[in-house]
Amino acid sequence: MTHFGEYVRTCRERLRAADPRFSVRQVAARIDVEPAYLSKVERGEVAPPSEATTVKLAAELGEDPDMLLALAGKVSSDLQEIIKKRPRLFADLIRALKAAPDKAVLRLVREVRDGNW
Amino acid sequence: MITLEGDKLHFRFPEVHADATCTIEFQRTLRIPDDGKAYPLPPGLGSFPLRHLDDFAPRVPARWSERGGVIMPMHQAEAMWLNFGHGGWGAEDGYPFAVKIAAGKINAVTGEAWANHLNRDPQDYVVLPKQPWLDGYCVAKGFIRQFVAMPLGEGYSAEEQLTGAGEHGGVQLVVYPMKAERWREILRQREAARRRPLGMFSGAPRYSASTEPMAPAAMDMSLAPGGRMKQEIYDDDYGLDAWDLRHASRCFVTIANSLAWLAIAGERPPTLPPSAADYAKAGLPWFDYYGGDAKALDGAAKLAALKSVAKLGQEKGASPLPENEPVTGERVIELGKRATKPVREMPALATKPLSSPS
Repeated sequence: MTHFGEYVRTCRERLRAADPRFSVRQVAARIDVEPAYLSKVERGEVAPPSEATTVKLAAELGEDPDMLLALAGKVSSDLQEIIKKRPRLFADLIRALKAAPDKAVLRLVREVRDGNW
Repeated sequence: MITLEGDKLHFRFPEVHADATCTIEFQRTLRIPDDGKAYPLPPGLGSFPLRHLDDFAPRVPARWSERGGVIMPMHQAEAMWLNFGHGGWGAEDGYPFAVKIAAGKINAVTGEAWANHLNRDPQDYVVLPKQPWLDGYCVAKGFIRQFVAMPLGEGYSAEEQLTGAGEHGGVQLVVYPMKAERWREILRQREAARRRPLGMFSGAPRYSASTEPMAPAAMDMSLAPGGRMKQEIYDDDYGLDAWDLRHASRCFVTIANSLAWLAIAGERPPTLPPSAADYAKAGLPWFDYYGGDAKALDGAAKLAALKSVAKLGQEKGASPLPENEPVTGERVIELGKRATKPVREMPALATKPLSSPS
């Protein structure tokens, strides 16, 4: 929980150094929460927000929503649906890839083929 | 490597640096009037659907399959712009890339024929993240001519005007990441600046597809120069030496006539956007972007000499652009450099549809 809040605060403060629109008050207004609540989230005094708010926060801060959700201890609904359809397969796959380097994991993703042109 | 995720091309270079990630998507937009006036930036109306071309191999011409890449639909006389993004970084902070863009294998910045390598003099690429968007052919310093889709073979495309042949169509991309050591140096400089006192750090219902082969040449679309728009293409202030020329990813984006999209992909193409006049009448915003003190490139003489779709149509005795009436009184929102990339889209897009021509 603390990790999530610290990360959000670091990102927001970094943006605020260049743009005052990234104050707690203004960011909170843009993601439809109270400034006091966002402040508590950043300090780790309350649990991370809902999935919808975390996704809005990620968009606001220019961060990857899946990464922010993972820091919040959550998995996005669409990923949950994918796993629920083939839970055994995806559980095995994720465990098998646990120690693989990023490059090896990315190879599993379908690449756009470049042809002859 | 390039992956296709949610109608967006993701370019990743994990062998260069973990941060080396950028995205390119194709935004639907208004076609600005092709009347000689220079218009501000039109909004983004959502992205065009992008699909792996290989998924439709039995239903597309063999020459399309041969070039690989992705495929998207466009209506005749529809406009689009390229939206550049990057993963997990603000507009000013992202990993830099040099990106070459061509249509019909004619470079959109210089008007020269396609070449995979980068050229500095004249610069034939855009630099990310400094360049947030590209809306058309660079015809003069601070001005472009909007990308407008026209059927290949009718003579309107930049490719046909410059080469006399309509062979390729589509859009071509090649992306080069910055060298990892140069990026690490930038990060070191940013960290040092951040540690300085006084806060000096400044650093975004499905339809069944036909099983019949779908191959008429008229389904191949290319991009032609449309109306004039204010947009700067920024100079590369890193220099050619900054780019990792050993690592590049390229992609051919085939543009299929929207009339063929249902038969090819089994899904309806997006509806036509509203006309520029309807949009302006509704009081919805247009945009201007100021890149701060970034230096803009001069236009390319070859591209400046191209005839716009309306002018060429007039010479042919044709009216290729419906609803080309001039627009006045645009409400312009100024966007500038910010810590996150400014958003260029119509507000309440989903809740306030405008009447659109069919």
